[in-house]
Amino acid sequence: MKRRTFVGAVGGSAVAGVAGCLTREGGENDDQGNGTGDQGNGTDEIDPEPETPDLEGELQVATYETMVDGEGAAGPWLKEAFEAEYPDAELTWTVPNNAINDYIDRERQNADIDADVYLGTNVDDLVRIDDTLDDGGLLRELNVDRIDNAERIRDGLDMGDPHGRVLPYDTGYICLVYDETVVDEPETLDDLTEPAYEDALLAQNAQSSDSGQAFLLWTIDAYGEDGYLDYWRALDENGVRVLDSWDESYTSAYMNEERPMVVSYSTDQVFANEYDYDMSRHQVAFPNDQGYANPEGMGIFEGASELDLAYEFLNFALSSEAQAVIAQRNVQFPAVAEEHVDLDEEFDQYAHVPPEAVTIGYDELRGNLDGWVEDWAREFAGR
Amino acid sequence: MSRPRESDRFVRLRKRSAGARRWLERHALALTAVATAGVLAVMLYLPVGVVFVNAAFDDGGATLAFFREVLTDPFYVGALADVFAEPLAVRSHLESLVGWLAAISISVSLEYPIPGVSLPIPWPSLEVPAVRKGLFGFTAYQAVLSTIASVALGLPAASVLANYEFRGRRTLRSLTILPFVLPGIMVAVGFYAMFGQAGTLNQLLGVAGLGPYPFIEWNPLAIVIVAHAFYNAPLVARVTVAAWESVDVRSVETARSLGASPRRAFRDVVVPQLLPAVLTGALLTFIFTFMTFPIVLALGGLQLATVEVWIYDRVRQLAYSEAATLAVLETILSLGLTYAYLRYESAQSGLARAAAAPSRKPLFPDLRTALSPRRLAIVGYGLITLVVFVGPMASLVVGSVTDGGGFTLRHYAFLLERQLEGADYQTLPWVAIRNSLVFGVATLAVAVPMGVVVSVVTVRAGRGGTIVDTLAMLPLAVSGVVFGIGLLQGLVFGISLPGGWRFQVTGAVAIVAAHAVAAYPFVTRNVSPLLSNLDPAMVESARALGASRYRALRDVELPLVASGVVAGAAFAFAISIGEFSSTVILASGSQTYTMPVAVERYLGRRSGPAIAMGTVLLVVTAASFVVVDRVGGRFER
Repeated sequence: MKRRTFVGAVGGSAVAGVAGCLTREGGENDDQGNGTGDQGNGTDEIDPEPETPDLEGELQVATYETMVDGEGAAGPWLKEAFEAEYPDAELTWTVPNNAINDYIDRERQNADIDADVYLGTNVDDLVRIDDTLDDGGLLRELNVDRIDNAERIRDGLDMGDPHGRVLPYDTGYICLVYDETVVDEPETLDDLTEPAYEDALLAQNAQSSDSGQAFLLWTIDAYGEDGYLDYWRALDENGVRVLDSWDESYTSAYMNEERPMVVSYSTDQVFANEYDYDMSRHQVAFPNDQGYANPEGMGIFEGASELDLAYEFLNFALSSEAQAVIAQRNVQFPAVAEEHVDLDEEFDQYAHVPPEAVTIGYDELRGNLDGWVEDWAREFAGR
Repeated sequence: MSRPRESDRFVRLRKRSAGARRWLERHALALTAVATAGVLAVMLYLPVGVVFVNAAFDDGGATLAFFREVLTDPFYVGALADVFAEPLAVRSHLESLVGWLAAISISVSLEYPIPGVSLPIPWPSLEVPAVRKGLFGFTAYQAVLSTIASVALGLPAASVLANYEFRGRRTLRSLTILPFVLPGIMVAVGFYAMFGQAGTLNQLLGVAGLGPYPFIEWNPLAIVIVAHAFYNAPLVARVTVAAWESVDVRSVETARSLGASPRRAFRDVVVPQLLPAVLTGALLTFIFTFMTFPIVLALGGLQLATVEVWIYDRVRQLAYSEAATLAVLETILSLGLTYAYLRYESAQSGLARAAAAPSRKPLFPDLRTALSPRRLAIVGYGLITLVVFVGPMASLVVGSVTDGGGFTLRHYAFLLERQLEGADYQTLPWVAIRNSLVFGVATLAVAVPMGVVVSVVTVRAGRGGTIVDTLAMLPLAVSGVVFGIGLLQGLVFGISLPGGWRFQVTGAVAIVAAHAVAAYPFVTRNVSPLLSNLDPAMVESARALGASRYRALRDVELPLVASGVVAGAAFAFAISIGEFSSTVILASGSQTYTMPVAVERYLGRRSGPAIAMGTVLLVVTAASFVVVDRVGGRFER
């Protein structure tokens, strides 16, 4: 496996029987502990810019599956372009099974963290890190001065982390996708509880799906902490169907014409256009003239061993060219303002932005998220 | 060196090697048992223990608080919460039970059981006041229904495969196990494509002017149960066929010659020999469907959530103590059931029989026989299997070559392109196929000896053996989610040892070991009932004549239970091919991913590439099952 994990491995360990089972701890990663300590006293400047940055070495970037393995994924392009710009650097992708949870777990167990950068955190990931580990843990506070392109980021995309650990690199909007030959466009969220939308809506389990959780948070934003369960009871009475994941509700159920409406992304038509799907089945609705914004962020691990390269990567991901590629291949909206990114006309035509983007910020999610989701799930399950 | 000396040495060497071989032979069984125990300790008890500790310890101190919390929460245990909260208030519990019983009533009403057809049928309806089932109650309820459905669909298949001869019987028998290896998402896709509003079934009915019917929406629970039967009926069938083929036909003939009618002979002679196998299948089905996770959510939605779903959620929220508590309770239930069954199974032993396989009748020898009620029933059953088993799988294959309505090879082109141009951090189809096959064969080689040894060790050990046997079933009884988290924390992250050492197990060896641990209970459950039915006197005479325990096993017992070993081996292979959760954890970041892992990794905005990979999985697996069964068939008689 990873070289660093196996430093000092001793062969022929009879107890383990499997070669490489026993490794020596410690070594290179000892500075990990110091990093955390420094941040605590807050007197030093965070990650001061070095005179001569070390731009040589292997940068490990952790991300999610579709970034590297999907059809026309953005990952391969990012790697190639980054390595072209920094010839002495090598970018290695790594895909943890359980996303950021793997690293939270590793941190809790004092296991090694190989990765330098995490690409793909949500606000709720930050909340989970802070609810589980020490406040402000796992990822380092960024010295934004080192990331020139950071000032290009659009207004309103701030991820609200009090510890300044992440910058957004793209965003998506949760909305409703519907079949206009079967139902009319719903004007409001309340409409979904009306007879016209009986047995029409497919949603996702907020426990296990990002889009499901975003839709749940949207209803919490609209109806308040005290009112959202009532709204969901009304949805339930009107026959909402809550499937496990976006894949299952969209790929399996919606595409098989089980129901005429699904909680999905406002970029749906980009795909519909690309694959010649019937556009009337891929209409985008923004009830209440809203969509729930789900910015995706990137950050640097506390114990990153290639700090300078990591900063360069964050800066690179916000460059005009990278932003265009990430937006189009990932089919999400760029994080930088319009004047800094050139998108294909087709993308502009088919990717829709809601009149108003809603999002529940870090402060409100902190300490509440798990409870909201669990209360909601208990309402549906086990009956 | 002179020649005589050398030949001396050669003789000595030969003697020594013969001695070593004798020693090995004498101790083969013990060595395999020790190796089995070692694999289990590292790959099963350690990871599971790492997680289970969370249920009983809080901040270093032992506690029962987590269990109390779960057991007194009506959400989890429904009406039983009161009982757990105040176990001593027997009187009030009895009163509420009596009150509940008194509220039960029976009425007759007119129902229209066939949708769309106005045919009134008087329907006795039992009015039972609602009992809150809770998550555990619901999970058990759907598992019971799923088990009944799986047995009902599996037994006819076993009967046809064991009793009739027809073209392609052997191949069909090999392929019965195919549904077993499909990843959950594929089954969901297949079921929607088959039973959905716009699915194949509705299109067929449309030709006849019927429908379309929203089969899945009508009753999601029913569809989930059918999906569980899709997975588990083949399992029931396979276990039963193995037992049926080793029924001693001479005992049936004896019964017939003593005047028993065919029906009577079947009931008194064949059924008792099949029952342990059928119940094994039912037990495995119950445990599997009790632990079910992706299928219920994909087809049924959150309303049909099971305990395992909740465990997964707790793990995602990193609430390990609650997840572990639920998992421990789940495990206790499954193991309790397993223990009860094993007590029954060991009570069934003692019939001496040497297998003389029953002969098979041709299925359709001529037209007149083909029109007999029994043959027509078989044809009817065949139609059901076409809808339930072939339909979803065929719909998958069709889905892999269509896109937005039209025929396309784009999905396969994606696989080919990925194979030829993909980077090494991407998932390459061929690597996945190769790994799946290599791990499958390696799992077979590890799991079969493990399973057989556990059988041999436990079969004649009485009650103590039953307890060991029950514990050996742990891989089936423990939550897959929890096992995965245990592997991650215990083996992938590693465990700190004194002196700055860290114990870690990952990579191919770990995957094969994990697969073997998941698979050997199937070998054991296929072999044990047959082994316990053998006459102990046969082994004893072999031993008295000087054979080592290993030789007696190899030369006397194994040939007699070969059908069970082969069935178990096929399962071991299938488990390895289909296994997902622990593979994905142990394969993370390396080149050891398998076909189901590749399917999941290709799932993106469009399902096409994933379905194409799933079809490759189906084809490769189908081909290898035919091979496994043909090779295995040589050892059967």
